Amino acid sequence: MTKPVELPQGTLEMLILKAVSLGPLHGYGILLRIQQISGERLEILQGSFYAAIYRLERRGWIKGEWGESENNRRARFYSLTAAGTRQLKAETAKWTDMAAVVAGILAKKAGEI
Amino acid sequence: MSLLAAIRKLWHSIAPRTRSDVEEEFRSTLDAYKEDLIRQGLPEEEARRKARIDLGQPAAQNETYRAAIGLRLFDELGGDIRYGLRALRRNPAFSAVAVLSLALGIGATTAMFSLIYAVLLHPFPYAGSDRIMNLFFIDERHPDGFGFVTLSKAQFHDLGLAAPVDSVLGFNVVELEITGGALPEDILGIYLTENAGTFFGVRPLLGRSLEPSDAENGGHPVVVLNYRFWQRHFGGDPHIIGRTLEINHASYTIIGVMPRSFAFNDFAVADVYLPASVMPVTNVSDLAYLPWIKLRPNVTRAAANSALEPIVRQIAKQHPERLPDHWHLALQPIIWTFQEDTGRTLTLLLAGVVLLLIIGCANCSILLLARGRTRRHELAIRSAIGASRWRIVRQLLVEAIVISCAGAVLGVAASYWLAKLPLLLSPDSFPAESFIRINAPILAFSVGLALLCGMLFGLVPALRLSRHDSARMLPGRQIGGVAAPAKHRWSVLIAAQVALTLLLMATAGTAIHSFLGLMRMPLGYDPANVMQVGIQFHTKDPGEWGRIQSREARMAYIEQIREKIASVPGVSTIAAGTAATPPYSGNENSFEIDGTGDREQPQARVIFVDQRYFAALRIPLLQGRIWNKDENTRGDFIAVVNQAFATRYLSSSTAFGRQLRIPGLMPRNGYEVTSGQSTAWRQVIGVVGDARNEGIDHPVVPAIYLPYTTLMPSYAQFFVRTQGDPLSYLQSIRAAIASVASDQQISTGGLAGTFTLNEAIERDPQYRSQRLFSILFGVFSAMALALALVGIFSLVAYSVAQRTTEFGVRLALGAPRAHVLWVAARIALVSAAAGIVIGLALDSFLGAVLAHWMESAFAAGSLFAAAALLALSVLLACLWPARHAIAVSPTEALRYE
Repeated sequence: MTKPVELPQGTLEMLILKAVSLGPLHGYGILLRIQQISGERLEILQGSFYAAIYRLERRGWIKGEWGESENNRRARFYSLTAAGTRQLKAETAKWTDMAAVVAGILAKKAGEI
Repeated sequence: MSLLAAIRKLWHSIAPRTRSDVEEEFRSTLDAYKEDLIRQGLPEEEARRKARIDLGQPAAQNETYRAAIGLRLFDELGGDIRYGLRALRRNPAFSAVAVLSLALGIGATTAMFSLIYAVLLHPFPYAGSDRIMNLFFIDERHPDGFGFVTLSKAQFHDLGLAAPVDSVLGFNVVELEITGGALPEDILGIYLTENAGTFFGVRPLLGRSLEPSDAENGGHPVVVLNYRFWQRHFGGDPHIIGRTLEINHASYTIIGVMPRSFAFNDFAVADVYLPASVMPVTNVSDLAYLPWIKLRPNVTRAAANSALEPIVRQIAKQHPERLPDHWHLALQPIIWTFQEDTGRTLTLLLAGVVLLLIIGCANCSILLLARGRTRRHELAIRSAIGASRWRIVRQLLVEAIVISCAGAVLGVAASYWLAKLPLLLSPDSFPAESFIRINAPILAFSVGLALLCGMLFGLVPALRLSRHDSARMLPGRQIGGVAAPAKHRWSVLIAAQVALTLLLMATAGTAIHSFLGLMRMPLGYDPANVMQVGIQFHTKDPGEWGRIQSREARMAYIEQIREKIASVPGVSTIAAGTAATPPYSGNENSFEIDGTGDREQPQARVIFVDQRYFAALRIPLLQGRIWNKDENTRGDFIAVVNQAFATRYLSSSTAFGRQLRIPGLMPRNGYEVTSGQSTAWRQVIGVVGDARNEGIDHPVVPAIYLPYTTLMPSYAQFFVRTQGDPLSYLQSIRAAIASVASDQQISTGGLAGTFTLNEAIERDPQYRSQRLFSILFGVFSAMALALALVGIFSLVAYSVAQRTTEFGVRLALGAPRAHVLWVAARIALVSAAAGIVIGLALDSFLGAVLAHWMESAFAAGSLFAAAALLALSVLLACLWPARHAIAVSPTEALRYE
């Protein structure tokens, strides 16, 4: 098993948006999906997880609706709103840009600087 | 949408999800996690435990939710408020004193603000009332006063066309009678130009206002009623529209009732409003209207003055008698006459209540500081378990604001009644239309005030109490012997409180002193048990008027009534007269005096009375004699003057035998008649003592007394001296008059009113304003004194309770009781003494300022009396609780150690 990665500040919300963009999920499902996509490498602080969901719902990026879960239990399913889709796109672009810039800087050798 | 639904909707938009919704979602996540764990092989009990450890408690989830959506501050404040309320309930004595201290201050300030709002900021209900001007002119020879310009109908039209003028209202105040009933009733009517409805822009309560169509075909006989008249005469009958009212033997249809706030005109509130077109034109003076000019928006008064001046010059050319030789226009807003005097009164009263409020706030600060000492332990614990200083300050501030809001609620309720007090005490100082109501600006004012006060008195204790180090506080309750640090804050607060209280008390003392002085001032006549009874002749009834139109008939009529009243048992003296009611009597007239022809137009009051007047009012005869019955009937060739006249104009030789004549004694309108030679030379036959004729506060002006038969207007006054209360004779006097002329009623208002001479004094503006100041400042300073004493009392009581052990030790070690008493009361006593000294200094500094405002300087006597009273009360307030310190039994006290 690979080493767990600590999540940088503010990225949890982006990951939740990504998880939900693949189809409506309840809270626990989102948690599982993020861990599954990341190959079990992300350690999510449980306390901050729901707070992030509440914040996203408050901002109107995700929308919660009560429904039936796979094992016939009532659960609240979250899906991405139009505003959330735009937000995810913007965040993704920003993140990719930043990652490329940082990676580029770090890749420089001593002679190139 | 109902209010409740609106609140629910707002609430939903703030926090869309309910607690149970949030908890249910979380529980389903917990369950799903738990089942996963069971699938991984954990026993159920173990899985439930691990799920809760990893994810948390469902019960705490709502808090996470509310914090995430930004409601944390809100929730914490809610908690602080609940905590504050609980703390108030726990200490009922503390809470009652704190809340009442503020309620007094906030209530009094709100009351004063609502008065100022009603009287100065928003006194009139008319549309664009700040643009409505009186057409005043200033006589350049007497620039202190101002006069009204009256206009005829055509001039009105010209004025309305001037560029800066939006519209012009003309009005004419007349005395009318309601006829057709058993007894005629005197009322006051105002003829209004028919644009009144649009000019005022006030929606009538019932029916409609006057409209231009009412002027068609020579005017329609219609009438609009004043609210109070409608209430008085028709009992507020809502079905009054369309009924008729008989005025001066003509029938008018009632078309409207004005709302209560409409009380045009503020100088003489009319009972009925009639269209100007139906005004009976009997002579020239009836033709003249007084104008109210509404300027267009954004026109300055200077521009309007210069634009209107040529028009008024034109009028002056046509009617030179209406204006003096040298004058200029000075338009004044209609509020102006009230702003001058009432504004000053209200400013002074506002200053008084603000002082009261500051004293109340200081009181709360002292109480909070004192109570805070018992809360140190609690606050230390809070701080030890991680509360930041800001959090503690905030909580203490919220508690202070809870107190001040409770005070504001009580205060606003009380202000409703408090605001009416000045109106009751001095009704003529305020526009008739300003009536007090609690409205949005006033509520906003008091809520703002409450928050401000809460901050003000809460901040010092909050900062003080939040600063401590928990390590020193926590180990146990503070040990008795340690003297409390930072007492100087209390001292400052107490000193300030005492100084301000002394300021209020000294002001009250001065106001009361000068009011008493006013009441003790010699009047020159004896008002006790004298009543004026006025009658108004029925000039509008041709038959009756014809009978008394001639001078002889009118004289006989008055004499007949006088004799009938004189025969009423209990009436000791009765005199007749016109314009002869002190303390304001007579009309200003120019006269000539023999041998001093070069003097520039000397002026004197001319007072018309009969020969019994001086006896009835007990005005002493100083020299010569009073005229006799025959001279009274003739009216000419004689005069009696007062002492002031003799000193000023007749000083060179003896008064007797000097001749004077008054050229102005001619009929001024169709109702007046004069004696044969009213303007001829008169011999001064006597000098009487000075009786007040220019108000009770002003020196007596020179006056000439003439027989009333010299010039008789359409009314008469009788001065009746009775045994005991004159008002109790009113019925028999009425009957006596009715036995002469069955429909001759007694007048209630105007020059020919009916009232006792003591009532006439009480109506004097000076008397009223001084009484207002005395009573209100008396009340303010009593409140302030009570507040300051409560503050000092509770401070000493608290500190004694805290230092029980210390006192026990002191007593056990043999300290004298007097010394212990001194130790217990020392800080409060010393700071109060400092406060008194500061207060005395403040008073002598402010004395000059106040002298200007109150027209009377601080009386040294009342200042020291106030200081002595304050010192004595403070001493008692200190020593009463301090005596508990020496009642401590040493063994008892040490047992707590």
